Amino acid sequence: MTEIAGKLFTWINTRLPIANTFERHLSKHPVPSKVNFWYLFGALAAVTLIIQIVTGIWLIMPYSNTEEQAFSSIEYIMRDVDYGWVIRYMHTTGASLFFAVVYLHMFRGLLYGSYQKPKELVWIFGCTIYLAMMAEGFLGYVLPYGQMSYWGAQVIISLFGAIPYIGESLELWVRGDYYISGITVSRFFALHVVALPLVLIALVFLHLVALHEVGAGNPEGVDIEEHLDDDGVPLDSVPFFPYKVLNALVAIGVFMTVFSIIMFFFPEGGGYFIEMANFQEANPLVTPDHIAPVWYYAPFYTMLRAIPDPLGGLIVMAAAVAIFFIVPWLDRSNVASIRYKGIYSKIAITMFGVSFLTLGYLGTVGVTEVRKTMSVICTVMYFAYFLLMPIYTKYETTKEVPDRL
Amino acid sequence: MSSGNIKKVLFRPSLFILFLIPLFSVFIGAAEGGPCKDYGECDDFKYSLNDFESLQRGAATYINYCYGCHSLKYSRWGRVAKDLKIPEDIFFENLVFDKSIKPGDLMTGSMPAEESAKWFGVAPPDLTLVSRYKGDDWIYSYLRAYYEDSSKQYGVNNLVYPGTAMPNVLLALQGNQRLVCKDVPIIARNGGQKRDENGNTITEEKCGFLEVENGTGKLSKEEFDSLIYDLTNFLVYVGEPAKATRERIGWYVVFYFLIFTALSSLLYREFHKDYNKH
Repeated sequence: MTEIAGKLFTWINTRLPIANTFERHLSKHPVPSKVNFWYLFGALAAVTLIIQIVTGIWLIMPYSNTEEQAFSSIEYIMRDVDYGWVIRYMHTTGASLFFAVVYLHMFRGLLYGSYQKPKELVWIFGCTIYLAMMAEGFLGYVLPYGQMSYWGAQVIISLFGAIPYIGESLELWVRGDYYISGITVSRFFALHVVALPLVLIALVFLHLVALHEVGAGNPEGVDIEEHLDDDGVPLDSVPFFPYKVLNALVAIGVFMTVFSIIMFFFPEGGGYFIEMANFQEANPLVTPDHIAPVWYYAPFYTMLRAIPDPLGGLIVMAAAVAIFFIVPWLDRSNVASIRYKGIYSKIAITMFGVSFLTLGYLGTVGVTEVRKTMSVICTVMYFAYFLLMPIYTKYETTKEVPDRL
Repeated sequence: MSSGNIKKVLFRPSLFILFLIPLFSVFIGAAEGGPCKDYGECDDFKYSLNDFESLQRGAATYINYCYGCHSLKYSRWGRVAKDLKIPEDIFFENLVFDKSIKPGDLMTGSMPAEESAKWFGVAPPDLTLVSRYKGDDWIYSYLRAYYEDSSKQYGVNNLVYPGTAMPNVLLALQGNQRLVCKDVPIIARNGGQKRDENGNTITEEKCGFLEVENGTGKLSKEEFDSLIYDLTNFLVYVGEPAKATRERIGWYVVFYFLIFTALSSLLYREFHKDYNKH
């Protein structure tokens, strides 16, 4: 029996590089031996992506992408499909937690300089994944065709209208109709379940290939490639499999515990994961009292609202996302990790974190005068972190990075 | 973890941010009008989806008093009977008035939407998901917040939903509720009642209290509250029939992942011991 299995393996392996790939990317792939919990969110993002794809496939089966049936097909899933509610809540909880882990993953990148030479492309692929995720999340939120789906889509699509000259025709082209209708739903469905998942998977593949080429970083910002053993393996490294895989497994256990607590006991996430108004079918004649985006877009929505001019708001919002792409060239520091950067970097990243979370909070509540002022201040703080980076990283005194991990 | 380590952890910028946020949100989180409007804070409602008697009474009240106008179009007759543990023959004999209805049929209601819009100014909404978009606290408060107001079409108004288009269908049970003014003790800043020199409480007249006129309703206040409790409980059920199952199996899933975490961390430790030897 084992002999046959061995022969079969050899037969396949001479035609497909199984053993080679396993060694190169898993059992002999060196990763830094000492990292902290911040380095686990990438693995968690991968797990969430898989959850979204698998639950998504099962949701497509009973979902109906027509104007008449989109909303009721969701209720059909929740009531009449056996364990349909499990699949649906996994998908809604997964969407929010996907953004949560990706935000933490990105913050890790900013903390420990995970974008610095030679990791620029890893970072850029990552930013593109985030961009694709934002589109994917928006398209998916429209599909249940509740009140928030409808009015959220209305707000977002009308943003295109703010673009000069081509705005109005672009808006019409995206919507496929003069107002949001079944045509919009069915095209968003196609994009949500086919086009963007393909883009996402391709980008994740590139993100990982690029990462494996340049090697993972660590919270010390030490280059482990500088001290190798006789076989050319970095001294401060462990093989990815099984050591880091097991480490990730523990993280997955903790993450899935949190995931199940939310999914089984607080699936609406207090109105932040599934907004209450979205349990009402889309009604073009009734505007909800308060249109708020889902929490993961809230910071950018606040920026949009902070600027009185629609085009200006659109530009600021787009710039807030786009600016991530050039971070590798904004950081002029000679060290990677926040641990060895100077006081200005530490203040800057704290201000950035505070402004981002405050912007997020402001995006989920109504507007008052105080809040309007706060949104402008926080938007300025947010951009200051990036735009002043070339100055404060260049002229601050950094600490000396140790030789070894 | 040594104290030095703790200090190091606490002073990291990332954690510092987490401490700052609550301060921020208190500062900018100015009060917004609550969902229960003139009623003030909504009354707290705690559902009990394992209390089948309550759910059964709620279903009966709904079908007798509400279903005439408000459909439950995403819910099926047979499913309600099954989930609420009502034997199908009893259920169909007592609660399903149209004998052509089969267990698998949706509870689509019987009132024509177009004409009802003429009668009430707005078609009575489907209520399958009302507990999800309004919340159970809201329903429980709303149904108990009707008061006499002769300026309105049906002679009643509602504190939770001022100007509501729905008449007080349960008026005969609740009795005639009015907005009254009362002398109430003035509450001092320290939370106690204000008293004069002789130790008597100082009162002031405040208005907006709901009070049922004695002897006008079939039910006492407690009985009526309990009727609304059951009705709201039923609407929580019908908003998400899987809710009780979800909360039951959730414990098993969470328990499974705790065990999973424990075992995987043991495995992780075991492998690391092995690695450090080399």
